Amino acid sequence: MGAYIRTENLYKSFYNKKEKNDVLKGIDLSIDKGDIYGIVGFSGAGKSTLVRCINRLEEPDSGKVWIGDTEITALNKKQLAERRKKIGMVFQQFNLFDSMTVFQNIAYPLKLVKTPKKEIEAKVDKLLKLVGLSDKKYAYPGSLSGGQKQRVGIARALANDPDVLLSDEATSALDPQSTLSILDLLEQVNKELGVTIIMITHELEAAKRICSKVAVLENGSITESGKTSDIFLDPKSSTGKIFLEVYKEFRHDDTFTGGGGI
Amino acid sequence: MSFLKYPFWEVVKHAFSKEVWDTVFPAVWDTLYMVALSAVITLVLGILLGIGLSVISKDGVRPVPVLNETAGTIVNCLRSLPSMIMIIVTLPLARALLGQSYGSNACIIALAASCIPMYARLVQGAFVEIPKGKIEAAKAMGSSSAAIVFHIMLPEAIPSIIRGFTVALIGIISMTALAGNFGAGGIGDIAVRFGFNRFYHDMLIASVLVLIVMVQVAQLAGDLISNLILRKRHLI
Ligand SMILES: Nc1ncnc2c1ncn2[C@@H]1O[C@H](COP(=O)(O)OP(=O)(O)OP(=O)(O)O)[C@@H](O)[C@H]1O
Ligand SMILES: [Mg+2]
Repeated sequence: MGAYIRTENLYKSFYNKKEKNDVLKGIDLSIDKGDIYGIVGFSGAGKSTLVRCINRLEEPDSGKVWIGDTEITALNKKQLAERRKKIGMVFQQFNLFDSMTVFQNIAYPLKLVKTPKKEIEAKVDKLLKLVGLSDKKYAYPGSLSGGQKQRVGIARALANDPDVLLSDEATSALDPQSTLSILDLLEQVNKELGVTIIMITHELEAAKRICSKVAVLENGSITESGKTSDIFLDPKSSTGKIFLEVYKEFRHDDTFTGGGGI
Repeated sequence: MSFLKYPFWEVVKHAFSKEVWDTVFPAVWDTLYMVALSAVITLVLGILLGIGLSVISKDGVRPVPVLNETAGTIVNCLRSLPSMIMIIVTLPLARALLGQSYGSNACIIALAASCIPMYARLVQGAFVEIPKGKIEAAKAMGSSSAAIVFHIMLPEAIPSIIRGFTVALIGIISMTALAGNFGAGGIGDIAVRFGFNRFYHDMLIASVLVLIVMVQVAQLAGDLISNLILRKRHLI
């Protein structure tokens, strides 16, 4: 299968006062359809910026982004909004709408595309079942636990049958148990719905558990990428090596590994 | 009755007499009329202006830097005028619009000119408090700017918008009292004409009581409604 999501020489800098901060320095990514692709790296490496460039929440300074046959970076505002409806995004801080019930949160993307009421009802029920929250349909996000909130976030991201799911540290605000169940949910979504997932994480554990491939991002450049098993058996980049070392330190703690193992 | 001639408690007691309230009561209605009308105008136009300011601001959903600067400056200018000056300044405007520069309706123009910009800033503040991530989530789903404003920002900010309205409403009540001095009638007029000019301190006490009750009711109602919403959303 050819690459489904591609980035070509992506550059992005931020300016703090007069100082230039080069965050992405020529990123080339190539992600196959149906993959769960991990992007790992330390804090500040540019992971969020990279994934936000893919749906252009952040405009890259130069370079191209392709999804399928569409050049995302060439779309105008209206076309971009249209395409975004088929790109789900999950956030570390969930970003649910507090003013809406769980049902309304998940229904929101469907309302955007003017889905008939009955279809919305059926679709939301299906998604609630998928994420295991049918009993919370009319609850407000404020009353949910972090893990439950993220399930709603995932259901909302899946509402319009996206072909791509962008996950920016979806499990970083969760306890180990919820982390595992969310990771399993993402894997299930990938297998059952065939959604291509880009998963950003700074937890090696998470990447090892569900990613088929990973890229290591270091200071705005990808220092290595490939099959997850290869990279973490024998990391070449310094970030990869440190990640593995830290991981080995921590895997003595049972709750943290949660049965993932090497 | 004046404190100068009668014992303290006699005056206080007389503040609750029929004689006093026969004069004060009609004024309460005048005041309520002015407050209510100004409140509705401030609520509607203040929210609209607040939305406008947020939308075109630097971090808004549709930034328009030039317009933002201009509108911001105008709003700030209107806000820099103390209530009394605003009343004096808008009197000619009232004459031009209504044919008279006294009475309740003339005062409402001054109230609106003063309170709309103030409330708009409070509304804008309520929008700024919305976590940026929620707006981004909405954008990432492909929402139009209008959908973001009306389906996300407004409902998310409504408890703060109501709280801000309480502040605005109390401002309106106090400004209405002040406007009484400039021919608007109402409770402020009673307080000045009888309480101050003629030393009818019983009337002054009655007027003060009316104002305290109005402000308390406004504050309690505002807190109650916004807390009800927050509680329903499990945010408190
Ligand atoms: N909107 C912005 N304005 C200015 N600088 C920014 C902005 N967003 C990110 N940066 C800077 O870009 C760099 C990379 O940030 P980014 O959020 O992409 O890192 P990250 O790898 O996601 O880190 P973390 O693991 O902490 O989330 C940081 O130095 C950050 O300060
Ligand atoms: Mg990040």
